[in-house]
Amino acid sequence: MDATDAAAHERQERLESEALTHLDALYRTALRLSRNPQDAEDLVQETYLNAFRSLDRFEEGTNLRAWLFRILNNAFISQYRRRKRRPSSSLEDVTEYYLYDHLAEGGASPRPENPERDVLALLGDETVLQALEELPVEFRQVELLADVEGFSYREIADILGIPIGTVMSRLYRARRRLQKALWQEAQEAGYGASAGA
Amino acid sequence: MNCTECVERLYPFLDRELNSAEQVQVREHLSLCRDCLNRFRFEGNVLRFVGQVARTTGCPDDARQRILRACGRDS
Repeated sequence: MDATDAAAHERQERLESEALTHLDALYRTALRLSRNPQDAEDLVQETYLNAFRSLDRFEEGTNLRAWLFRILNNAFISQYRRRKRRPSSSLEDVTEYYLYDHLAEGGASPRPENPERDVLALLGDETVLQALEELPVEFRQVELLADVEGFSYREIADILGIPIGTVMSRLYRARRRLQKALWQEAQEAGYGASAGA
Repeated sequence: MNCTECVERLYPFLDRELNSAEQVQVREHLSLCRDCLNRFRFEGNVLRFVGQVARTTGCPDDARQRILRACGRDS
């Protein structure tokens, strides 16, 4: 192995190790997208195999994490289309649904301090995760990237290959839907009965 | 900035996507308007809650081992 090979090998090793620090984040995103542990595992494996094969084309100093999420989302969309699944639910809108207004109008609130605590306290983790998974795929992607993984609008636009304006409108609609779903769950868990009376 | 203009910037503000001039305008409005302040706090807490819950999920150990092995990184 000459010096160039050794440097390339060292670079590959270093970037692979760095990429693997994102395994948990990639897995949880894959799991919420595919809604199936075996599919999630396959997607993460495919992501790393693709990434490691093309690391020589990765420009060092740019965003490795965003690059991995782009590969993952592309792999997911391919898997999704291969199976010809229909969208999980229609994209019809609930655009003006603000949980905050609902609480205010319902008389349950607003107590000025933290009305959301009462609502959120009723919701178990599984309920929240299920509400996330029930978002239509296009909304789920932006919601996971923004609110779970903390990517910026620009990064999300690059990861999904869509304009920033589309990121913003999908994120807005995703959050409206999520709030509506959480509110319905909170009501079923007895929110109105305990706090609204 | 009035309430409508402020609420239009709700998510870009919470997502730290506003330019600094707009951030200052929103903060000024929030310092004067309790309704908007409550709404912003409410929305911010809901988003944080969802993120926190979702981030508790990790990759199970057995799946991790299989992925590492498939990538030739199981040593």
